[in-house]
Amino acid sequence: MARLNASGIEFAYVAGKPVVEGVSVTVDAGEVVFLLGHNGSGKSSLLGCLAGVHRPSAGRVLLDGEDVHAMSAPARARRLGMIPQLHVAAFAYDVLEVVLMGRAPHLGTFEAPGAEDEAIALDALALVGLTDFRDRRYTELSGGERQLVMVARGLAQRCDVLLMDEPDAHLDPRNQFRVLEVVSDLARQRGLAVVIASHAPNSALMFADRVLLLRHGRTLAMGGVAETLDEERLTAAYGMPTEVVTKVVAGRRVPRAILPRRIDRVPEELETIAVQRADVERPGALLDRAFAAGAERPQRLIVTGARGTGKSLWCAAVAEAARARGLRVAGVSSPAVIEGGRKTAIDLVDLRTGERRRLAEVRRADEPGTATQRWRFAEPALAWGNEALRAAAAGPGTDLLLVDELGPLEFVRGEGFLAGLAAMDARRYAVALVVVRPALVDEALRRWPDALVVDVED
Amino acid sequence: MASEPARATVGLGRAPVGPRWARLALAAGLASPLVVALVALGLGYYPIPVVDVARSLLSAAVPAAADGVPEVARLLVLEVRLPRVLAALLIGAALAVTGVVFQGIFTNPLVDANLLGVTSGAGFGAALALLLGGGTPWVQAAAFGFGLLAVTLAFLGSRLYRTAPMIVLTLMGILVGSLFGSLTSLLKYVADPLDALPAITFWLLGGLTGVGWRDVPALLLLTGVGAAFFFLVRWRLNVLSLGDAEATALGMRPLRMKFGLIVVATLMTAIAVSVGGVIGWVGLVVPHAARIVVGPDHRRLVPMSLALGATFLLLIDTVSRTLLPSEVPLGVLTGLIGVPILVVLLRRNRTGW
Repeated sequence: MARLNASGIEFAYVAGKPVVEGVSVTVDAGEVVFLLGHNGSGKSSLLGCLAGVHRPSAGRVLLDGEDVHAMSAPARARRLGMIPQLHVAAFAYDVLEVVLMGRAPHLGTFEAPGAEDEAIALDALALVGLTDFRDRRYTELSGGERQLVMVARGLAQRCDVLLMDEPDAHLDPRNQFRVLEVVSDLARQRGLAVVIASHAPNSALMFADRVLLLRHGRTLAMGGVAETLDEERLTAAYGMPTEVVTKVVAGRRVPRAILPRRIDRVPEELETIAVQRADVERPGALLDRAFAAGAERPQRLIVTGARGTGKSLWCAAVAEAARARGLRVAGVSSPAVIEGGRKTAIDLVDLRTGERRRLAEVRRADEPGTATQRWRFAEPALAWGNEALRAAAAGPGTDLLLVDELGPLEFVRGEGFLAGLAAMDARRYAVALVVVRPALVDEALRRWPDALVVDVED
Repeated sequence: MASEPARATVGLGRAPVGPRWARLALAAGLASPLVVALVALGLGYYPIPVVDVARSLLSAAVPAAADGVPEVARLLVLEVRLPRVLAALLIGAALAVTGVVFQGIFTNPLVDANLLGVTSGAGFGAALALLLGGGTPWVQAAAFGFGLLAVTLAFLGSRLYRTAPMIVLTLMGILVGSLFGSLTSLLKYVADPLDALPAITFWLLGGLTGVGWRDVPALLLLTGVGAAFFFLVRWRLNVLSLGDAEATALGMRPLRMKFGLIVVATLMTAIAVSVGGVIGWVGLVVPHAARIVVGPDHRRLVPMSLALGATFLLLIDTVSRTLLPSEVPLGVLTGLIGVPILVVLLRRNRTGW
């Protein structure tokens, strides 16, 4: 059974105007649950209901099966720690004094904390890594440190459930990360059940086990992070077109960042040749813009796209359009040789002269080293290709330089056409197109940071 | 790694971990009322050596102790100066500690127990009694009663709005205080300028002239009970001073506790004002001075403010009684001395309260 179990919670500050309606949430020991939603979606009110500060008009909050609202205030505070939003305290208590206040629910009205309480408070400070801060003034700490002191106070309370209201507000990214990291570690290591109301869905991506997405006081979605925080739900929850940026980790696509969706801003200096979606359909249009700008400054374009999406075809179309305009095209392309429906060899074409040679053939299965490399490259053909590229750079001037394509040979092993790429660095052309597979785009951009990327797949 | 903090044995909880002088200052502060009282009892138009003061005091228990002390000196000490010194100590302690309590529960270092209008009510009560020609007991009773009435009205007024009860209570306190201030002005306007008006004005400025043994028991009782109560809950004041949200999260019922504290503080202030008149600034200056010495922890702040408040008012009353050619009203002196001190303290204490 879940440690904290709230079901059918309804709450209103003003009768008839509920701010939380029929919301249920469970939190297990050792689990971090984020409450997300727009301003006024009921996150803080729900947190108040869970903490026993607000009494719900319907529904119950059970802590290990016991009704939170039926407990006495000190009994509740011994089990449930609530950390309100960060604010500046009126009095400059020492850090240890602040943490000691977490002992309040364990002490009688006329009691003051003793040696045992102090030991507990020092333990708690050590757990958040602030042992050296014990005699510092709380008001002089940074926001992140103050928040950690509050966490230590919650630990000194010796509670099973820690409720936090926007612990990441007003903190810089490093401190947000530090606070949430400490809290989620404590949850795992000490079996603390943690509920965090937050305005930062990205914090939830990083630290939540589960999320509750609220909208106008009602549950929009509840569940694991990846399946709950999708673009559709986030767009509905925040009333704003939202984009989830993903990354493949261990073969699974996982969300890494949540961003407002907006029209991407184009860097001003490149505005004249900004790559548009329509350029994939009409290569000539991009070419025209690129040449208009490239007249003053050579332009480099990295052409990419998954296998079979037609990067080479697109480049061929660009080259054709260029020739049709009377422009000089140079460089190399490497069309596949298809025999019997299978790609059996790769040719190399010098685009300036149209000369064609065999560049690579499929290794036979019994050849050594098959496991590492599928293609056996012909060294003379590579040398010839490099010469063609050099000639493109040394020649009377090239309008369009095309290199199709560069692969691991160049970027990983430092071989292949690398020698001939001096042509690229010499910038004796108006526009250069380099074809690379998607996995190598970052490598290519590292080499030519000012290049624009054309993703044929788009 | 710092060494374990030393533990004070006088029941103050953790002693300040800071420099040694801070601990000495705490000890000196707690001892100061006794020392200053011994000296003050000897000062006056008829100076008495400290030894004779001590022997006179002892003679109350052991009559033989006063052998060789002039009877005049003994009577001056025991019958004239002692009640006045005690009243100054008690009123100073009460005003200072209620200042600490109000600052804690309103999480505002710039308020004192007058926030809810107790002084204005008491001033009006005293003025009314003086106008009607009542004697000292009547004046005191009226001051006490109207002081409580003012705070009660502020409480009732705050019930009109349910949200943010403490803010509404503060607002009502200010309103009720203004109301009684206006009523007092009205009384002064209609008072006989030769007889009642000077009496009202003098009372409103505060002073301990003419205070005798009859004034001490009630003062001692209420101040003692209040001080003991605040001393017992002094650590809870730390938690309360974090604000309602955090106090609630820490398992307290802040509103209930604050109500109790305000009732006790109001009783203490009302009795102090009824005996000494309107004496301002003690509740602001002394808590700040005490915080500089012992820090904001109420475990040390409450006893320190009691001691320093007693010392501060006794010093000022003694100056007023002995050094100045004619007795200057206490409320005037506490302002003249307290305000510059407060300014200096504020300058020194820029980093926090």
